[in-house]
Amino acid sequence: MNAAVLRYRVMAYVTGVVLVILCFVGIPLQIAGYPAVANDVGVVHGILYIIYLVAAWLLARRLRLTAGPTLIMLLAGTIPILTFVVERWVTRRFINPALGKGPGQARPAAPVSR
Amino acid sequence: METAGPARDAAAVAGAGSGPVWRFLIAPRWLGWHLLMVVSFWGMLWLGDWQFHRALAGNGLSWAYTFEWPLFAVFAVVFWAKTIRDEFRIRQGKMPDPRAAAAEAERLPAGVSPVQASSVQAGVGAPDEEDAELSAYNAYLARLNAEVKNHGRWHGLR
Repeated sequence: MNAAVLRYRVMAYVTGVVLVILCFVGIPLQIAGYPAVANDVGVVHGILYIIYLVAAWLLARRLRLTAGPTLIMLLAGTIPILTFVVERWVTRRFINPALGKGPGQARPAAPVSR
Repeated sequence: METAGPARDAAAVAGAGSGPVWRFLIAPRWLGWHLLMVVSFWGMLWLGDWQFHRALAGNGLSWAYTFEWPLFAVFAVVFWAKTIRDEFRIRQGKMPDPRAAAAEAERLPAGVSPVQASSVQAGVGAPDEEDAELSAYNAYLARLNAEVKNHGRWHGLR
């Protein structure tokens, strides 16, 4: 489980960063008449996205997610910025509960006293 | 909380009794899924074909996409088939229903797993005073959580 989470997280961040570079550096340069960056980064993102798909899919199966959340996870790799948002959402909503940890689990050093 | 699982199982068994298991496949919601899968499958094949023609026209970059789109189309089919197979297994009681578990997790405060909650409720290891205080604190957190249940849902906070 931990390995699957790590694979997903690494791929989410790598794919997300490359996609941000593609959309906010490559595309403006392409419009300005320098298509080289968009071409190269585009191919890199294409390959990374396939690996991301597999990693996200395996984690979704492991977490026994239903079709909706799984689809959101898979498509997040194609929309800039959303990759990071979805990674956080998946972590809070599914990964932490599955691993039995989260903000609510930490034992309070001093329970509330009034 | 124990009612969620068995109740669903009972409903699934009753559903199995009133008709064949595959009947869920023609429910409107599932028909929508099928339609989405068919459209996206052919859409992706069409995109692959389009890239193939661009590649033949001399766009070297398109070769990568010529193979990538059909790969995505195959992936969509695998996704669809696995989802249906899971649904069959859930309805036949061979697999726990993840939606029941999700509903259970939704009911609990963020970060508290059902296992922890049941141990708190069952009073496991609660004889000493500190744990009594801790469960009081957890109940307080649960109350706070219930009050703000839907706040911030669309901001990715929950």
